[in-house]
Amino acid sequence: MAPTTKDNRTGFARLKGRLVGNPIANTEDAHHRLKKLVALPVFASDAISSTAYATEEILIVFLTMAAVGLAAFDNLVPIAIMVVILLAIVVNSYRQTIHAYPHGGGSYIVAKDNLGKYPSLVSGASMLVDYILTVAVSVAGGVAAIVSAFNGLAPYRVALCIAFIFLVTFANLRGVRESGALFAPPTYLYILSLAALILVGLYRVYFQDLGPIPHTGEVERELLEGQKALTLFYFLKAFSSGAVALTGIEAVADGVPAFEKPEARNASQTLMLMAVILGTSFFGLSVLAQQLQPLKDEEGKIRDTVLAQLAEQVYGGRNIFFFITQFATFGILILAANTAYADFPRLSSVIAKDSFLPRQLANRGDRLVFSNGIIALGVAASVLVVAFGGIVNALIPLYAVGVFTGFTISQTGMFVRLVRLKEKSWLLKAFFTGVGALTTLAVALTVVTVKFTDGAWIPAVVIPTMIFIFTFINRHYVRVREFLKVVEQVVPPFRTHFVVVLVGSVNAGVVQAVKYAQSLNPDRLLALSIVGSNEESDELQRTWAQSFPNVALDTTVDDYRNLTEKVLTEIERLDGLQSDDIVTVVIPEFVTSLRSQWLHNQSALAIKARLLFRPNTVVTSIPIVIP
Amino acid sequence: MGIRNYLNRGSQTKDELVSERLCAKFGELHMVTLADMPMRRRVDVCGEIRRMSVKPRAGISAVEVEISDGTGEITVIFSGRERIPGIGHNRGLIVSGVAHFEGKRRVMLNPAYRLLPSPGQ
Repeated sequence: MAPTTKDNRTGFARLKGRLVGNPIANTEDAHHRLKKLVALPVFASDAISSTAYATEEILIVFLTMAAVGLAAFDNLVPIAIMVVILLAIVVNSYRQTIHAYPHGGGSYIVAKDNLGKYPSLVSGASMLVDYILTVAVSVAGGVAAIVSAFNGLAPYRVALCIAFIFLVTFANLRGVRESGALFAPPTYLYILSLAALILVGLYRVYFQDLGPIPHTGEVERELLEGQKALTLFYFLKAFSSGAVALTGIEAVADGVPAFEKPEARNASQTLMLMAVILGTSFFGLSVLAQQLQPLKDEEGKIRDTVLAQLAEQVYGGRNIFFFITQFATFGILILAANTAYADFPRLSSVIAKDSFLPRQLANRGDRLVFSNGIIALGVAASVLVVAFGGIVNALIPLYAVGVFTGFTISQTGMFVRLVRLKEKSWLLKAFFTGVGALTTLAVALTVVTVKFTDGAWIPAVVIPTMIFIFTFINRHYVRVREFLKVVEQVVPPFRTHFVVVLVGSVNAGVVQAVKYAQSLNPDRLLALSIVGSNEESDELQRTWAQSFPNVALDTTVDDYRNLTEKVLTEIERLDGLQSDDIVTVVIPEFVTSLRSQWLHNQSALAIKARLLFRPNTVVTSIPIVIP
Repeated sequence: MGIRNYLNRGSQTKDELVSERLCAKFGELHMVTLADMPMRRRVDVCGEIRRMSVKPRAGISAVEVEISDGTGEITVIFSGRERIPGIGHNRGLIVSGVAHFEGKRRVMLNPAYRLLPSPGQ
C-alpha cells in the first residue's frame, strides 16, 4: 500500500475530487487521448445531428415560402447532390488542414499562418460564437423535440435546457474520455436508427411499392396545391438551408490533438468516416423524402417532424421502431452540443496562448481538459438560452453565417499555403481548395442575403465586437510584456530600505514582527500606530519604550475612523520624506481557524489589498497562528 | 457658500477637511502661518499636534511632534524627553524657536512652547 501523506487539499478541492474524479498527471496524457471509435461520436455528433433537420429546412423553403407544391420533391435530390459535393470539397480541404496543422485550432491557425492577424481573428471569433450557438441551439432543439412529444413539459423548457447544458458541461469536466464514453452510445444509436430507416424505407419503396404518405389535413392539402414556378432565389435559399448539414464538420480539424497517436492520421480517417456517414444519410433521407413526400410548414401547424413522418410511414405506424428513432433523434440533437465542448475549450486555449483571450482559458484543469473553457462555454450557452427563453430558432441563420465564414477563411488560407509551398500535385489541390473557398463564400453570402432579416445581420455586430475585445486584451498583454522586458544593466529604482511595522498594541505578535523587521537590516525602521485617543497613545508609548527602546514609534490619531485609508496616507507621507526608498510594510496578523477568523477585524486583509497596488512597496505579513 | 460649495461637499479629501478645520481654528490667532514661516530666524508659530513620535536620537530618546495649522507642517523636537505632560494628539500649541531643514522636513529643536486650551476644557 502506498504510504499515506497529509491531505493538504482544501475542502473545495476534496469536493471537486469527488465530483470530477482524481486529478490526472501530465504523463498520462497519452492514455487520455481518444480512440477513433470514441472520437467519432464526440466530433461527429454535431455534424450528423444536422441530418435530423436539414431535409426539413429545405422542404419548408420549397413548400411554404416558394409554394411550388409537389415540385418541391423533385428538387430535393438535386439539392442533396449539391450539398454532398460541397461536403466533399470542404472535407477534402479540412483533410489537408489536419495534416498541415496537427496541433489543432482549425481555421484560426490556418488563417493566422497564411492570411494574417485579422482574418484569423475573424475566423476565431466566428468559430467561438458558433460553438456557443451550437450548444444553445442544439440543446434547445433537442428540448423542443422532447417538449413537442410530451406536452406537459412545456413550462419547464428553460429548466430542461439548463439541466442538459449542466449535464454535458459536467461530463466534459470529468475528462474527454469519460464524456466520450458516456455520449458515444446515443450517437451510435442515432446513426444505426437512421441507417435502418433509410435502408428499410428504400427497400419498401422500391421492392414493396410503398407509396407516399397520405395527406388529408387542410394545411397539408394547401401546401401540396402550390403551383408557383420555382425561382432562383428560392432555389438558392433552399440550398443554403440544406447547407446547414455541413455545420460541425470543422470540428475534427479543430480538435486534432485529442486523438490517439498518430493524431493526424486518426483525425483524418475519422473525418472521412464522418463525411461518409453524413453524406450518405443526408442523400438517403432526401431520396426517401422524395418518394414518401412528408410535409412541413413554417409555423409548425404540422407538428410531426419530417423524420417522424418518414419513420411512421416506413415502419407502418407508431411502433417500437418509430419510438427508437424518435428517442435517438432527441439524443443526437442534445449531444450535438458535446462536439462544441470538445472544440471550444481547445480553440479558446489556442487563442488565449496568442494573448487574444484571458490566459486562464489556456490552463488545463485536474482532468487534463481546459476546464475554464468548458465552464465558460456552459455559462455562455446558458445565458443565451435564458435570454431567449429556450427558443433559439432566431439564432440558426447566425450560426450558418459563422460556419461558412470559418470554412471560407480556412480554405482561402489553405489555398494560399498550397500556392506558397508548391508541394507535390499542389496545382490540383489548390484548384479544389480554391473552388471550395469560392463555393463556401457564395453560400455565406447567400445566407446573409436571403436570411438577412431573419437574424443573419447579427454577425455583422457580434464579430467586430469580439475582434475589438480580442485586440483590447492583446494590447494589455503586449504592454505587460514590453514592461517586463529585461534590458541590459537594470538599475533597481531604489537604494535604501525603509521598513514600517504596523502596530496596534504591544503583544507577542508585534514582538515577532519587530524582530523580523530588524533582521531585514533596514536603513530606516519605524513602528506606526494609528491610535484612537491620547490615553491609548500614552499607554502604547509607555509599553513600547520598555520593550523596544531602540525603535521609533510614530503615533497619529485618525480623525475619521478609517484605518486603511489613514495607514495608506501615513505610508505615503513617510515614504515621501526620502526618495530612492523601497518600503516594506510588516503587518502582524492573527490567523485562527476558519471557524473563528470572522471574529477578528480583517483590517490586515484590507490594508494588504490596498498596498498591493502601491509601487515600490513590499507587504510582509507575520502570521501569528492561534490553533 | 453658494451652489458650488454645496456641490463640492463630500468630494473633498480628508486632508482638505482637516486643513480647513485647522485654518479656521488657528486663523483667528493672527500669527505667522506655517506656510509663510521664515527659516533660520526666531519666530512664533502655532498648530495642532497631528503626529507624535518617540524615537531614539543619538542614544537619548526624543519626543518629536508634528504640528499643523492647516497651511503647512513643522516637526518640533524635544530632545532628552520620553514624555511631556500635556503634549498629546490634537492639542493646540504655540512654539517659538528657530526652524531649519532636516532632509525634506522643517524642524525646530527644543523651542519654548505654550499649550493652548484643549477643546474639552
